[in-house]
Order: sequence, then C-alpha cells, then structure tokens
Amino acid sequence: MTRYLMTRLFYFFLALLVLSVVTFSLNWLFPGDPLTNMSGIRDGQAAYNATLESRAFDSTVIQQYVNYLAHITQFDWGLSLSTGNDVWQDAATYLVVSAELVLLSFALAVLIGLPLGMLAANYFRHNLDKFILTSAMTGYSIPVFWLAQLLILLFAVQIEWLPITGQINPLYAIDSITGSVIIDILLSDSQYKLAALQDALLHLVLPVLTLSSLPSMLLLRITRNQTIEVLQKPYVKAARARGLSQKRLLFKHALPNVLQDVLPQMTFIFGLMMANLVIVEHIFNWPGAGAWLLKAIIERDYPIIQMVLFTLMGLILVLNLLVEIYRGWRFPMTREERYGGY
Amino acid sequence: MSKQSIIVTALTSFLLLSCSEQTQVPEPLQDGLIYCSEGNPESFNPQRVTSGTTVDATASQLYDRLIDYDAVQQSFVSALATDWQALDNGQRYRFHLRRNVTFHDTDYFTPSRYFNADDVVFSFRRWLDSDAPYHSVGGGFYPFFAATGLDQLISQVQKVDPYTVDIILTHPDSSFLANLATDFAIILSKEYADQLASNRQRELIDKRPIGTGPFKFVAFKKDYYIRYQRHESYWRQGPSIERLVFSITPNANKRMLKLVTGECDVIPYPLVSELKSLNRKEIEVRSEVSPNVSFWAFNTQRPPFDDPRVRQALSYAINREAIIDTIYYGNAELAESILPPTSWASSDAELKYHYNPEKARKMLREAGIPRGFKMDIWAIPVQRVYNPNARRMAELMQSDLAEVGVDARIISYEWNTFRRRLSRSEHDTVLIGWYADNADPDNFFRPLLSCAAVASGSNRANWCHNGFDQILYQAISTTDNAQRKQLYHSAQQLLMQQQPLLPIAHSMRYQAQREYVKGVELPPYGGISFRLAGKELPAQ
Repeated sequence: MTRYLMTRLFYFFLALLVLSVVTFSLNWLFPGDPLTNMSGIRDGQAAYNATLESRAFDSTVIQQYVNYLAHITQFDWGLSLSTGNDVWQDAATYLVVSAELVLLSFALAVLIGLPLGMLAANYFRHNLDKFILTSAMTGYSIPVFWLAQLLILLFAVQIEWLPITGQINPLYAIDSITGSVIIDILLSDSQYKLAALQDALLHLVLPVLTLSSLPSMLLLRITRNQTIEVLQKPYVKAARARGLSQKRLLFKHALPNVLQDVLPQMTFIFGLMMANLVIVEHIFNWPGAGAWLLKAIIERDYPIIQMVLFTLMGLILVLNLLVEIYRGWRFPMTREERYGGY
Repeated sequence: MSKQSIIVTALTSFLLLSCSEQTQVPEPLQDGLIYCSEGNPESFNPQRVTSGTTVDATASQLYDRLIDYDAVQQSFVSALATDWQALDNGQRYRFHLRRNVTFHDTDYFTPSRYFNADDVVFSFRRWLDSDAPYHSVGGGFYPFFAATGLDQLISQVQKVDPYTVDIILTHPDSSFLANLATDFAIILSKEYADQLASNRQRELIDKRPIGTGPFKFVAFKKDYYIRYQRHESYWRQGPSIERLVFSITPNANKRMLKLVTGECDVIPYPLVSELKSLNRKEIEVRSEVSPNVSFWAFNTQRPPFDDPRVRQALSYAINREAIIDTIYYGNAELAESILPPTSWASSDAELKYHYNPEKARKMLREAGIPRGFKMDIWAIPVQRVYNPNARRMAELMQSDLAEVGVDARIISYEWNTFRRRLSRSEHDTVLIGWYADNADPDNFFRPLLSCAAVASGSNRANWCHNGFDQILYQAISTTDNAQRKQLYHSAQQLLMQQQPLLPIAHSMRYQAQREYVKGVELPPYGGISFRLAGKELPAQ
C-alpha cells in the first residue's frame, strides 16, 4: 500500500508541476508584457519595478519559474487587470459559489444515475430497460446550452414557476460572505430568511437540473452496463442458486463490485462538469468561477485566467488522486493489477 | 424505507413546497424595484464620463444638480439652487442655495452639516481647476466639460456667503444654464472629500459615492448588481420604493426574458418587435422621441464631395422612407434637419430632399460625375440609439446609389479603430449620428458642424463655413429666445443649401416595464430617474 501511495502521490505532484509549467508559459504565449500578464501590474505603475525584482525578471527563466512557483504556493496570483483587485481574494467566493452548484448537481446526478442504472440492469432487455436506456440516450445527446434554453422556455416563460438568473432575487439583500447562497442566508440577519431560502432554492433548480443532466445519464449508462456484467458472473449465479433474493443480490453483492468500476469514471464525469459549468453559469448568470473565467477570457484578464484554469484542473487532479487512493485501499486488486503485488 | 428514498422524498417535498407557496409576495419584493441595466458603470461619478450606462446608474439616483430642466414646460426649474440671476450682462450668474438639504448617511460616512456653498465650490473645482486636490483623482479627465467648453467658459466659482454662489464666465453664453442642468454637473460633498483626504483614501470618492440624491449607495458587484437604499430625509418628494437594484444584464434577449419572468421590473433598450409579438398584457412598452439624429456625413475636404451639387445630388438618391421602415421598423421619424422636431428652435421647413433618383442622376451628370463613380460608405460597427443597424442601412443605400450609377463600397472596422481612422478623416462618407446631452439647440450645431469641431475631430463632414460659424456665435451670445430661434432657422436654411450631411432619422428611445411599475418615466434628455418610482401591486 505504501508503495502504491507513494507512486500515486509522485504522479500527482508531477502533474501539478507540469500544469504550473503550462500556466507559467501562458504568460509568454499571451500577447503583451509577460510580467503584466503574470502579476497584473502594468509598466508605468509605481509597483512595477518592485514586482520586476520580486518576480526575478532580471534573471534567467528558470529563476523566474522558481519565483512563480513560490508566489502561487502562497496563493499570490497577482492583481486582476480589469479591476485591480487581488485575484485570490476575489476567487474565494467565486469558487465556493461554483462548488455549491457542482456538489448539488453531482449529488443529483448520483441520485438519478445509480438507481436508474441498476433498475435498468435488473430488467435487462425488458421494456423498462429499453425505455430507461432510450431516455438516457436522448438526455445524453442534448447539448447543455440547448437543454438550458428548453428548460427556461418551459419552466420560466410558459408556466412561470422558476426564475432564470442569479442565485437569489437581489432585493433580499443577502450579502455574499462565503459565496454559497444557502450558507449566506443562514448567516445573514435578514428577517425574511425563510422566504429568501425558498427563493434561493427556486433559483437553484434550473442550473442544477441542467448541470446534472449529462453526468446523470452517463452514470446511468455506466452503472447499467457494469451491473449487467457483474450479474452474469459465476458467483452471482451461485448466490442466486443458493436462493438469495434479487434485492439482496443486487445491493449486497453486485453493488460493491459495480461501484469499483463506476468510481474511476467519477473523475471523468467531474471533468466534464467543469466544462459544462462555464456554459451553465453563463446562461443562468451564476456568479461562479466558470462565468468569471469566461468573462476574464473576454476581457483578457490573464492573471484570472491562469488562476482559474490552474485551480479547476488542480481540483480534478486532487479528486483523481483521492479516488485512486480510495480504490487502492478498498479494492486491493487495483494495486495488484498495476504492480503485480501488494 | 431505504435511506435513499427518504432523501429523495424529502428533496421532492421541499421543492414542491417551494413551488406552491407563491401566492404571498414577501415584503422585500413589495417595496423594491429591479432595473436590468445594460452594463457596468465605469465610475460612480458622472462628472468623469459620457457613457449613458454610467449616467443612468449615478446622476439622478445618487446626486442632484443646482438646476433641473423640465422637458414638459421646456424651462429650467430649481433644484439645489432655489433661484438664480444673470448679472453683469450675463457674465456672472448668482445662485441662491436651498437650505436643510442632507447628504447620505451611510455606514462609511455620517454628515455633520447640511449642504452649503462649500460643496458647490468643491464640486465645480473638481473638474474646473487643475490645481484642486481632487482634480487628478481618477485620471483628471472630465470629457463632458471639455467637449462643451464649459471648463473654458467658467473663469471662477465664488462663495459669496454660505448659501450664495457666484459663477463668473469669460464671456456671455446662453447655453450655460442648459449645461448646468445636465446629468454631469452634479454636487458632491466636501465634508466627505475632506474625510477621505485625511484618511488618504481619495480614490474612494468615486467608488463609494455620497450625494444628496433620492437613493444612497449600498453595494456594487461588477457584472452582477448595484444596490441602492432610499434616502429617507430627501429634500423633495422621493420614491415610494425602499430598495432599488440595478441587475446588470448586457444581453438584450436575456433582458427581455427576465422582464417576462418578472425578474426585472424595468428594462432599457428592449427588442421592441419581439416583445410586442409576445403580446403579454402585463408588460408595457414605452417610447419617447429622443433628442438624437442619425446622418450621412460627406467628407467635404475630399473631392468631389467638396462640391455642394454632388452632396445634394447624392441626397436626392437616398430613399429615406424605406430606411425608416426597414432599419427602424417605423420606430423613428424622418429627419428634416439635424435638430429634432421636439426642440423649441426647430423650423417647420418643408422636407427638401425627397427621394428622386431621376433628379439625382441628372444633377450628378451636371456636376461632372461619370457613371460608375466609386465611393466608400463607412458604417459604424455598433448599435446606437440613433442607428440600430448601420451596416444594413449602408446596404440599402448601396442599392439606391447603384440606381443612379454610383458604385458604393461599405467599410466597417472594429469600433475603436473606426473612431480613430474617422477622426483622421480617412473616409469619403460616414453613417453616424449624435445624441444630445441637453435641451439647448446649440448642442446639435457647435459640436457637430463648427470649424472648431473640425479641429477637435467631432465634425465628421470636416465642413468649415465662416458664415455658419458666425450665426452660431451670434446665437449663443444672446439670451433672447425669439432672436435665437430666428438665428437657428437661418442656420438650418444654410445647412439645407450646403448639405454637408444628409439627416436620416430621429429614432425613438424605448423602455419596457411591468404594468405595476409607476413613476419611471423616460426622460427626453439624459439618464433614467427613479426619483418618483413606485409599485402598485395587484391586490392579493
């Protein structure tokens, strides 16, 4: 296990290092002054010369990279080129806003995908299976931006149930402290907490639904296929022959084995959600990191672009690492597969 | 029941609960109003900008001026100044100030005194006097005052006593009061500025603003919202709503959707034709003929456009009625002159340049223009109130011109490049326009067609006519309106003869709102005002 752990950690830090080299070289690939792209301080500003020194721009590229690493490990991503604010300070709330949206969508995706996938597998080749699979295929093929428009037209314009933009009606005057609207409402001293909470939940429905559509359908298909495969294994047949109920068979015997293969797909699904996050946040005016990144790209705010790219990709790497460690610990076979020994 | 199904049931029931209890409108929504503005303000001080978006978010909400302009009565009315006199043959204006006017009391500033002459002197010196400590805060550019020449016109602002101020001009100028009544000539708090200066936080003056206006500033989140709270001790009738939010929504389609779903109460620049086709009775579309004009300017320093006959001939070649129908969908008025018909100085002159390709062709041959003559039409690449689609307009004109044997090429660059090359006079002709800042007719003539404007680059026709300049100068030197009207009539006559540009349309300005919103009128000049805003929600 130690060897497995060490190797995983080694690869993780290697990937992070490569990622930082990429973001570092972006400063040169973006047009303009590399130092300005990196620090957000323009030539002619008072702090320019000091920055020149602290970023080692009078020295070699290697030295500059080392200094860059030193800065980003202290979360110093420079200043925004459009607002002049410290990028990391601004980032905190944007990231929490997105985290709330992603976690809720992910939870919904798991709640939809896993049970339906197992249900479909249980009724393999029956009509129910065909129905679920067809719906999943349809859901899977609808592009996110189009689905968002359809949902808006149906639930907001036609039947007027749901709002379409932002986290909450701004008239509630809930101050953004953490970024997560639900936590912010609970922290606020507003006299209308319940109404505000209700409003915020209504605002959450459409973005969460849209963002979870693709991952839930993917999960559904993976779960179904894995379950079918597992259910045809000899040990399942043997268990069935011993008279185990189908329910016990599914949940006690098949599910853990299905999860073993579904789990690694989670990181892939998480990466996919990151890509869709940008679109969903833009469409629903969600004040999160995805919309922030898009805005920064349009405004060519390079310090922000670097920081958000690095953080989102870093998060995917972290999740990947956690899943691998969990698998290695929970399913020793994984370790054996990779290294032929414990 | 398994754990999963409990969670699912709990989640669904909570959502259903949220959906079902919509009958009662919670209090914060009853006394608040959401305006979906089209962009971020650049600053919270209109002195420093000319963009309409910033003016909308600041001028009438946070601040007051010395005097206001009443568009209905077409006269100046008192605001922070109760009355005023012109002395010394119009070279000195004396303003008597209103007493007991309070500045905003916020969590970052508590005023200890009422508004007085010190605030007026401070506010004017901010843009007038390059030695004033606050002049250079935020860059030291005050484009409106530079463009109108107000910073050259005013020689001094003097405090006579705590409630009297004298403004001394270098020469008499009858457009002076009109410029004072614009959204840009707002009054700041000197006490707040002093407090910031002693804390070494001068730059905050335009970020956390303090004024005397009907709303006070609460918070601004770039790209998302600006929040305001009612100024409870406002000196005149204020709004009945308590909270005002500008929800920043640059996309026109999304603004319309948000109005439909009720997330906006009022929106600017709606997609009029699409909104009307939705046919919802709870949404009202309002319009106002606004003081703007779109025109086709000829670069009169380039042959053959230096010949008035050519300019007249080309003017006859354009079918402007068709343009009004296709580009403005009929939401505009055909322009007879650059001065809109709502101005007091507009003349009822007959429309001279009726569409007449026959006559145009004949006049072009007389002027010696060969068949197949090639020229450029520059079309602005952005949407403006006065011209929603200049490229399409240029295409229509291209086919009109082909009728009379002129081969026109359409040119369009990115907006900043476009303006730069335009001010270097690289164009043959250009489709552009003008939007007035104040009610004075002078605002349409001097910035657009005077010889001085050729030098400053805002005279798109590069047309410098000494006789015309003479008339404009006479017109601003007198305060007698009847005489001024006479002078502007002759100026318009001269323009029609010389035709340095062809006026095309005065377009309407639109705003859409939910029917329960009251008191949010479209002002003919300047930015939107929520001073009298209220809501009349249907009884529950």
